[in-house]
Amino acid sequence: MYATGAIASRRPNDMLRHIPALSIAKFTGLLILAAAIACFVLAPIIGEALFASIWGVEPLTYIGAALLTIGLAVLLFAFALPQALRRPSKQSQRDMQDWSSVTQQYFELFDHDLGRPLRRILGKERELRAYLRAAENGANGHIDIEEVTELLDEIEMQAPNFRLMMSNIRVLIQLEAPNASLEPQPVEVPEVVRRIIDRYNPVAAEANKSISWWAEPSEFGIVYSDSAAIEHIVTNLVDNAVRFANSQVHVWLTREDDRFSIHVWDDGEGVSSHYRPHVFDRGWTPAVARREEKTSSGLGLYIAYTLSIGYGGDLTIENDTTSGPNDHTTFVLTLPSHQPAPAGATAGEIS
Amino acid sequence: MTESRLQRSILIVDDEWDSKVVRSVRKRLDEEGWRTNVVVPFDFIVSGDDFEAEALYAIEEDRPDGVVLDVRFGEHGSDRFKGLAILQKIVEHHPQLPVLMFTQYWKGPDREIAVRGTLKWDAQVDFIDKFASPEEVVMRLRRLMGTTPDTIRIGDRISIDNANEVVYVHDADKATPVTELHGLRFDILQELASTWYSSPGEVVPFAKLMRYTEGEDPRASIRVRIREIKVAIGKAMGVQFGAGDLIINVRDRGYRLAPPE
Ligand SMILES: Nc1ncnc2c1ncn2[C@@H]1O[C@H](COP(=O)(O)OP(=O)(O)OP(=O)(O)O)[C@@H](O)[C@H]1O
Ligand SMILES: [Mg+2]
Repeated sequence: MYATGAIASRRPNDMLRHIPALSIAKFTGLLILAAAIACFVLAPIIGEALFASIWGVEPLTYIGAALLTIGLAVLLFAFALPQALRRPSKQSQRDMQDWSSVTQQYFELFDHDLGRPLRRILGKERELRAYLRAAENGANGHIDIEEVTELLDEIEMQAPNFRLMMSNIRVLIQLEAPNASLEPQPVEVPEVVRRIIDRYNPVAAEANKSISWWAEPSEFGIVYSDSAAIEHIVTNLVDNAVRFANSQVHVWLTREDDRFSIHVWDDGEGVSSHYRPHVFDRGWTPAVARREEKTSSGLGLYIAYTLSIGYGGDLTIENDTTSGPNDHTTFVLTLPSHQPAPAGATAGEIS
Repeated sequence: MTESRLQRSILIVDDEWDSKVVRSVRKRLDEEGWRTNVVVPFDFIVSGDDFEAEALYAIEEDRPDGVVLDVRFGEHGSDRFKGLAILQKIVEHHPQLPVLMFTQYWKGPDREIAVRGTLKWDAQVDFIDKFASPEEVVMRLRRLMGTTPDTIRIGDRISIDNANEVVYVHDADKATPVTELHGLRFDILQELASTWYSSPGEVVPFAKLMRYTEGEDPRASIRVRIREIKVAIGKAMGVQFGAGDLIINVRDRGYRLAPPE
């Protein structure tokens, strides 16, 4: 169901350059033209010598004229064909079909996925409506503000899910058609993490879970990277962690000379070892492994992993044996921090 | 208290100033104790230029502590990114004024980078997407404006009066000072509370709490102080705080505040 391969790298023009028939045609065309010129040059000489009359000249001139026409036609064909093919051809139409079928697949996937939070929102909204109607009719006495607020909170809590899915779609489409990569920008990683936690704190609280985070060293400083990519990757990790945690999620930042890492841990069951080779596959969820119907799209980690690699980093799972008997797991994102070369370094050292 | 003088004000510049999204943000800012003003144009039909003039005028008049500004004004081509032009003007005339910019979600990060490139690196400007919850808006503004208020409320029942160094426990309308919390104990609680205020969930590392200790084993001393804080507040509230309540130790890295339910 999931198309693979980089569609953007397959270009129709590359193929045309390698059609041998075209080179042969060009060569033949030139040969015919040469023969035509020879006919014109030879006609007066041969005609005069052999026939001594104007009549004998005629056939060679005619043959020369015919050859000239044919030669020009062949050359025209040989040079003009690739140009003509560069316009939508069968090949590029097929590429378009590949591309649009991928887009189609993504659309269907997300159409289904976006439906899930929407169904939840509608469900809660109808529950709320029914509750209010019952209260109005005096069936349950008075309107319990707390109950109403609770239902509204549950509706509100669908927002981060929606937003993550929207940015997943955007990033997926960008991944299929990669633009020139952006120059690394100065990034305050702790602030990027703070924003994600701002968004997920209410979600966690709603489920009686909590998120703690810290940076080592606490004066973390600036790295050179892409804040949007970091935010996207870590949002996916935190989204999963909050969903699968028992009660605690920990996020911490570390840095070494030329790289920095963001660790995301939760106290849930973790990913069992036989599933680990698959979690970064596109569309994989345990439901797929068990041949059941999927309840989530299984794209988050695939996108997070692809982005991490694309930025010269890595995304790994670590087994956490220090925090107790359970098989907790920590996801670790590591990215280069692209420190500018220190002043005084020679130009050759700056990469 | 000097609350009225110190009450902070936020100016909202958005052509959809009466929309539900803006209203919910205003409501949340009100709860925060901040005064909100919206730039409302005089005429019914307005262009982005009117907003620009009104916004700059309002900043001169009101001297707000922060501005919330929308990128987009109306549907007309020339007004689509009027907010960016207004932003440039504000930064030019008031380089110290914090501005939180609402962006369209889809174009968010790229545009943010583009705009940042045109501003000075130290400009007090931040970007947030328009689907952000009012809570997120408040958190961003707290950090952008960068000051801690005189009184921090922790959940429904605890408040810390930073100016007078008193911790109160609230019961209906009654506020009881927790007299045991002074000196180092107050300082530690205040440090935890101000971190929590601008960045809930962030662990205050031991290294930062060390300065509130005396004696040979600073970690042990902090542990003792924290236990005393929990006991004192717990006594005033009539509850007993466990290891995972009020102030929690995270992996022996440090502590963070966890407001009681
Ligand atoms: N922190 C975690 N703890 C336990 N299992 C996890 C954790 N993170 C991911 N997984 C497992 O890996 C699977 C794939 O994760 P991924 O984020 O790729 O997809 P998803 O969360 O199922 O869907 P999506 O992120 O696209 O909404 C999950 O369905 C889950 O079973
Ligand atoms: Mg996920």
